[in-house]
Amino acid sequence: MTAGAVQLAPLLGQVTIHSRTGANAPCQAQESKVFCFQWAVDNFDRYTTPFLNQLLLVLIAVGIGFAVAFAFAILSHRQRWLIPTFTGATGVLYTIPSLAFIFLLLPITGLGWETAIIVLSVYTLQIIYRNIVAGLSNVPVESQDAGRGMGMTDRQLLWRVELPLALPEIIAGLRIATVSTVAISTLMVFANVNTLGQPLYQQIDFKTNIVIAAGLSILMAIALDLLLLVSQRLLAPWRRPSMGARA
Amino acid sequence: MEGGRPAASVSYRDVTKRYPGQDEPAIHDLSLEVEAGEICVLVGPSGSGKTTALRMVNRTVEITEGNILIGGTSVRDRDPADLRREMGYVIQQIGLFPHRTVAQNIETVPRLLGWDHARARARAEELLELVGLERDLHDRFPSQLSGGQQQRVGVARALAADPPVMLMDEPFGAIDPINRERLQNEFLRLQSEIRKTVLFVTHDIDEAVKMGDRVAIFQEGGHLAQYATPAELLMAPANSFVEDFVGADRALKRLALMRVRDIDLWEAPLAFVGQATGEVRAKLEGAEVPHALLVDSERRPRGWLSQSDLQGETVPETPDTSPDPILDLDDVMRDALADLLQAETQYAPVTDGQGRIAGVLSVEIISEFLGSPEAKVEEHAAIDRPVEHPVGE
Repeated sequence: MTAGAVQLAPLLGQVTIHSRTGANAPCQAQESKVFCFQWAVDNFDRYTTPFLNQLLLVLIAVGIGFAVAFAFAILSHRQRWLIPTFTGATGVLYTIPSLAFIFLLLPITGLGWETAIIVLSVYTLQIIYRNIVAGLSNVPVESQDAGRGMGMTDRQLLWRVELPLALPEIIAGLRIATVSTVAISTLMVFANVNTLGQPLYQQIDFKTNIVIAAGLSILMAIALDLLLLVSQRLLAPWRRPSMGARA
Repeated sequence: MEGGRPAASVSYRDVTKRYPGQDEPAIHDLSLEVEAGEICVLVGPSGSGKTTALRMVNRTVEITEGNILIGGTSVRDRDPADLRREMGYVIQQIGLFPHRTVAQNIETVPRLLGWDHARARARAEELLELVGLERDLHDRFPSQLSGGQQQRVGVARALAADPPVMLMDEPFGAIDPINRERLQNEFLRLQSEIRKTVLFVTHDIDEAVKMGDRVAIFQEGGHLAQYATPAELLMAPANSFVEDFVGADRALKRLALMRVRDIDLWEAPLAFVGQATGEVRAKLEGAEVPHALLVDSERRPRGWLSQSDLQGETVPETPDTSPDPILDLDDVMRDALADLLQAETQYAPVTDGQGRIAGVLSVEIISEFLGSPEAKVEEHAAIDRPVEHPVGE
């Protein structure tokens, strides 16, 4: 822990330095409580890199989290006794406070992208895993019975029947995991990754900055969420409410 | 029809099924021969093992002892997935894949067998027609179909690869009574064309009697109580269990197996328009049916003549009483009785295929038949016949 605190000290120093340089920005309303539009237009490019970094971080973390959770879920789908084990383990990991998690990883991976990716992907495991498992166990028994009775092997049943039917719930899990990862990823500034948390914590008392940094983060969350929602509709057309009409 | 593979016989050889942790076997030393092209109904109360017996055929339940042969080949020597692709499979909940369209559902087994897309699609459309569904339903999802349509798609899907054997586990169990009857009739019509070997599980004895060429009645503990044709079953129950299961109304059920032409009909005095009423009145003396039936020149029934109709000199053109219900020689006896009771009438004219009078059916004929020593003699004869598959105990 001491090692972590030592490494973090320059970071915190950096935060104060940046907040001082912010005072030189060409907006007189910097200390005011109102949103300064002119400053926003002039300084928008300073958010580009943090935004792209954060987007990349979220995509990598959710991608890795999904791959690991998917493998666990498939493994425990036929070995059902593994479900409480995996749920418990990912649940415990989920409770670790994110700053503490970064410090815990300091001696192993140090500061940087690696640590951030590990922390964020571990947090997604619980939600994604539980949703895949729930989706698979909600597959109608008669669909499984019919599939097996028609001569599908376990693998064919999984890929042709069970996973497609679990898809809406799997994507629902991905949506929650993605939105929460976008939010937590701002904290990865403490792992020394230049996400939107960087400008956010630099000038925590400057309203315009807060609104832009937080707003971009929220926009990213909404956009990714919508993207997943649309893909769910496209991939699971049989679930569209408009198709509920019975002949 | 694709190829038209011949149906295969199914034979159970001393089959026993024990589930782990249960003392009593679920199926007890079952031996049963199902001829190729026949419908064999497995019927019994819940817990009698009928579904277990069915599922051992495609090895969704594994056999503990004994063997099942399909067309002479042991199912135990076959890879389960390959075996199942050669058997149509229809279940009560239908089990259509909700995420696949009607056509994709029907194409399931052909695709598993490696057919190309075009051939599988052509087959799917052919089958939709065969089961009486419109071709343009093919791109609907199952949730967009009614229950009856879903069940037809289920049957089409089971027939897709032209399997020699069909397994049907309470296929019409979840359908309302009116549609169930329609689906049963459709399936019987279909079966008369396709001639598959069908194993059909139900808990409904009426359905068993209707659908089965032969019926296997199971009793608690997985014992085969009787294996016989529906008529034999109704006339000569092998034991008190079968008698109870078939029901106290088994005499009435027997009517479901008979047609009007199977019974001796009565003759009514016939009258023609313009005939002298005196002649008609003379015929009425000592006639089996105490009413005269007016027929046209083609001997088609036009109505019953009442006393007042016979007051005049000649028989009038329009009689007082309509001839309805008019029955057909090919009507099922049970339906004929229902028609009589519903019309609250004693007599109904029976016509042949051309609509010409063939005789008169009365409630009395039916009740006499049900209570007749003739029927009882028949029962005794049936009892004396050797029963092929006696009770398992």
